[in-house]
Amino acid sequence: MTDDGAGPESRDRWRAVLPVSLLVVVACAQVTLVRTAGLTPWKGGGFGMFSTTDGGGRRYVRVFVIGVERSEEIAISPSLQDAAWRAALLPRDAELSRLARRVVERERRHRRPVDLVRIETWRIEYAPDSLAATTRLTREFVYRVDPTPAPGS
Amino acid sequence: MWTRLLRPVRDEHGVPDSVLTLTAIILLLRPFDVWWAASFVLAAACLSLFSRAVRRAPVTWLLVAVFVAARIVAVWPLSDNHIYLLAYWCLAIGLALSSANPAGTLSVSSRWLLGGAFAMAVLWKAALSPDYVDGRFFRVTLLTDERFADASLVFGGLSREQMIQNRAFLEPLPQGAELLKPPPFVEPPRLRAFAAAATWGGLVLEGLIALTCLVPVRGRLDVARHGLLLAFCVTTYALAPVAGFGWLIATMGLAQCRPHQQSLHRAYLAVFILILLYSEVPWTGVLAEWAVR
Repeated sequence: MTDDGAGPESRDRWRAVLPVSLLVVVACAQVTLVRTAGLTPWKGGGFGMFSTTDGGGRRYVRVFVIGVERSEEIAISPSLQDAAWRAALLPRDAELSRLARRVVERERRHRRPVDLVRIETWRIEYAPDSLAATTRLTREFVYRVDPTPAPGS
Repeated sequence: MWTRLLRPVRDEHGVPDSVLTLTAIILLLRPFDVWWAASFVLAAACLSLFSRAVRRAPVTWLLVAVFVAARIVAVWPLSDNHIYLLAYWCLAIGLALSSANPAGTLSVSSRWLLGGAFAMAVLWKAALSPDYVDGRFFRVTLLTDERFADASLVFGGLSREQMIQNRAFLEPLPQGAELLKPPPFVEPPRLRAFAAAATWGGLVLEGLIALTCLVPVRGRLDVARHGLLLAFCVTTYALAPVAGFGWLIATMGLAQCRPHQQSLHRAYLAVFILILLYSEVPWTGVLAEWAVR
């Protein structure tokens, strides 16, 4: 900066405006996604970290697999963790379908029947005064498996 | 246009070398997870530390901004907020270095970026979040987040046994369920006061920073903005486990210093190192151990 603290020249003003404009656009998109799609306020570029207990550590998913002669909850294996984490943070159809497809791929790799994948997203909430903790189901998503196996599988 | 992006900016144009060097160090200190983004960003950061021409070329920072943004997209929505700020900051550096008044442009960019980030943080805490102003966030976090556990023992006057009991109490039950004999929950007045201080101290400090960054101020208020930024870094990152954010704030504050403000310049450098020490030295753990003896 110059000694008198002068800012950018008028023809260069856009160079100072562009980065903060991007910040504002992304932050507004983040608020919209939190309100409409259940994105955690901690993520997405809206600077909502350290403002709520609704962070990644207090969200989780439960995955149920239904197939011929089976209907069971499966554990989140290491190969599913990334997709499960993304689905917990942003439980939109796209992220939940991605997790469901990974589950189907994994089940087929292990030659286990799978017709349907049901995913539940949960979060932990705390009562205002007592801090009593409860879990709340935030979304239920059903993914029907295409019976045609993928080429090469 | 293209030659302007490749040409290094001369020193007399005033962007302090320390701002660019510290930004390169931040890039080296932060894990990037995505190999192709990490490869480019780490190489660019190393080269910019050793080569003045690379460090002061706008294209270096514009490309780094692109790779940081690509990393955000690749791991969406997992990136922390300071990675977004890092992308905006690298873009701001690249754009400023290719302007007619690089230092002035970067100073204004820095002020507005910090103002925007802090304004959003305040909006979330004060208005959008349902559990911040009633104190729930820090009351729960001080007890359940392992990274704050030692601070809760030292400043909250909690014993390790009480901490374990409280964590058992804060284990969730299914909706509507109630235990016949719930575990005891102990919240000493000191812990409650610590949570309240963290809640309101953070909100007020962040609000003042947003205000002084977004409202054009001169003279003493300009110095007050630097004082608030430094105070925020010194207090917040002593406990908050997000050194990357602190380094970025210190570097962006440094970019707002005028050439004659050498004391402020040195203060920001000291704070950058202090945050590094905060992140590496478990000082609250040492205090907690000492308090037990």
